[in-house]
Amino acid sequence: MKKARPWIGLLARLILGGVLLVAGYLKAFSPDKSMMAVRAYEVLPIWLANALGIILPWLEIGAGILLIIGVAIRYAAIFGSALMVLFIIAIAQAWARGLSIDCGCFGGGGTVDPSQTRYLEEILRDTGLALCGLYLLRYPLTKFALEKKPSQGE
Amino acid sequence: MSSKSPNGPDNTTRNLVIGMVVLVVAVGAIFSVLSNKENTSAALPSSVSKADGYGIVFNGDVKGVPVVDIWEDFQCPVCARFEQTNGDYIEKLITDKKAKVVFHTLSFLGPESSLAANAAACASDENKFLGFHKAFYKNLPAENAGIITTEYLIALGKFANITSAKYGECVKNLNYKEWVNNVAASGGEKNINSTPTVFVNGKEIRRATSGADLGDYFDPAAFAKAVEGK
Repeated sequence: MKKARPWIGLLARLILGGVLLVAGYLKAFSPDKSMMAVRAYEVLPIWLANALGIILPWLEIGAGILLIIGVAIRYAAIFGSALMVLFIIAIAQAWARGLSIDCGCFGGGGTVDPSQTRYLEEILRDTGLALCGLYLLRYPLTKFALEKKPSQGE
Repeated sequence: MSSKSPNGPDNTTRNLVIGMVVLVVAVGAIFSVLSNKENTSAALPSSVSKADGYGIVFNGDVKGVPVVDIWEDFQCPVCARFEQTNGDYIEKLITDKKAKVVFHTLSFLGPESSLAANAAACASDENKFLGFHKAFYKNLPAENAGIITTEYLIALGKFANITSAKYGECVKNLNYKEWVNNVAASGGEKNINSTPTVFVNGKEIRRATSGADLGDYFDPAAFAKAVEGK
């Protein structure tokens, strides 16, 4: 089991990092839509939602690159997991309040037809991604990481 | 990676990578923020009022009538459906001076929406916005399929009886590109999260809640009632 850890870690890095990078890239160049997606959750004040809609995709890209290359893994993993937890909370509250929105995770977003919501799948996916991050937090030593000796935090 | 000393080269590469990633994120984010800001010196089409969220205004000087704000994106199929349902009625409201109507052409669906919004502004300078609007939606092409080009939009102008060379230049040179951004920024401030979104006197009309329900948007009688308040 111990031998498999760096390999599982590599997989976790590539999954979480890959998803963050793709998700960020798809949103970074259509900020109008990304801002709309954040506003549609109806949680944040409009100015803050708009600011987040512009900046968040770039932060996702940054964390995704770090995870894929394997640098500052624990920091990027904490960031990724925390982000997923926030997404889960945001989606769950939208679901509970009966909003019908697209999560806007990979571009898109905003109000959609009630029949087109996918809250459960979105929450399960983000849970899986959060677990990837938590795994890396616990076992940051992974295969093929640029950084050979990530801080163990012990 | 050949790490000669246990910490030296590894640390340098690490810091270099972190530095570069931070730089990319910072430059990207700053660029996005700046390009999304309202540009107060943007060229505005003649019928546009900044006070009305940079919308294209009809009957701005008529008092005591309902104000209808229509937020749309030229590439949005539901907006085409809204135009087919209520377009003639809205045109009549305008010609009969029964309402002040403000069109806000958003562009969140992609670059081709921006091209179309720019062309609509050029058409509005020729007093042919409504004709352009109708002709565009009647022939709505697939989303971001590369069909909406400057040539396409110039050709489309003929369906709205726009023949002037000035229109062609305006479409080609993207005269109102900055204005298109300003409309988008204004939509963000007004919390527009889907299109079409229609306000009558500042209040959104009733949106459908289920598949069978048409709401005020797609039932002509309900829409007229929402506008006229009877």
